[in-house]
Amino acid sequence: MADSDTLTKTREDTSLDVPWNVIVHDDPVNLMGYVTYVLMKIFGYDETKAAILMMQVHKLGRSIVWTGQREKAEFYVQQLQAHQLKTSLEKSA
Amino acid sequence: MKILPTLEGGLRIDTEDAGDWQLLQGITNDAVSCDESLAHRLGNLITDPDVAPDWREYIVPDLEEGFSADVQHVTTAIASAQLESAGGPGPLWITRDDGFHWYSALNQARLAIEERFHFGPSESIHPASLPPRQRSAFLRSQFYCAVQSLLLEHVLR
Repeated sequence: MADSDTLTKTREDTSLDVPWNVIVHDDPVNLMGYVTYVLMKIFGYDETKAAILMMQVHKLGRSIVWTGQREKAEFYVQQLQAHQLKTSLEKSA
Repeated sequence: MKILPTLEGGLRIDTEDAGDWQLLQGITNDAVSCDESLAHRLGNLITDPDVAPDWREYIVPDLEEGFSADVQHVTTAIASAQLESAGGPGPLWITRDDGFHWYSALNQARLAIEERFHFGPSESIHPASLPPRQRSAFLRSQFYCAVQSLLLEHVLR
């Protein structure tokens, strides 16, 4: 194959319409005020909503902080992890 | 060591002796003290087979680069301030623009300490009952946490 040839790889994806959950998990390091601040910064939530979600993380061990389209969910998880919050994503049940 | 907010929305750290500089240099040492990097530890939380392979290939290196840059920023700031004060008493300025780099480096240091020693919630820890190496790590983590609280209150918001 010549150096300039391009390989095109296609991937079948049948779950595009399934909503995805963005989940923040509790940890003993991240400060409660910081978690609230990050949720406000990334999602644009007001302080009350961000604080409620933060308290869910703190008391229940995890909170679904956003649900929606996969690409956007991946973007949000990347942003949350860049702020060092323990974050995962999963298909919504 | 004294830490005070500045009128410009930053922090000023006044060191008093070589021990203070050593404590500040601990941020860098602790941040990189885990065998597995923070970016990889966070990447391990992505387990869905539709997402995980691409995450490890593209996102983890990107996060790793960002975390390293934050630590490098803080390392350079400390080394530069230490040089200017000849390792003795002197100021170290954290501007508003520096704030997130500092918060990130301090958080990486605390996350790495937690990963190594598994202290859990700090209120349940009695430092006097810990072996010397763990006590030292716990107290450094508490110091980093205090600086983070000041950053959160005065710089990031």
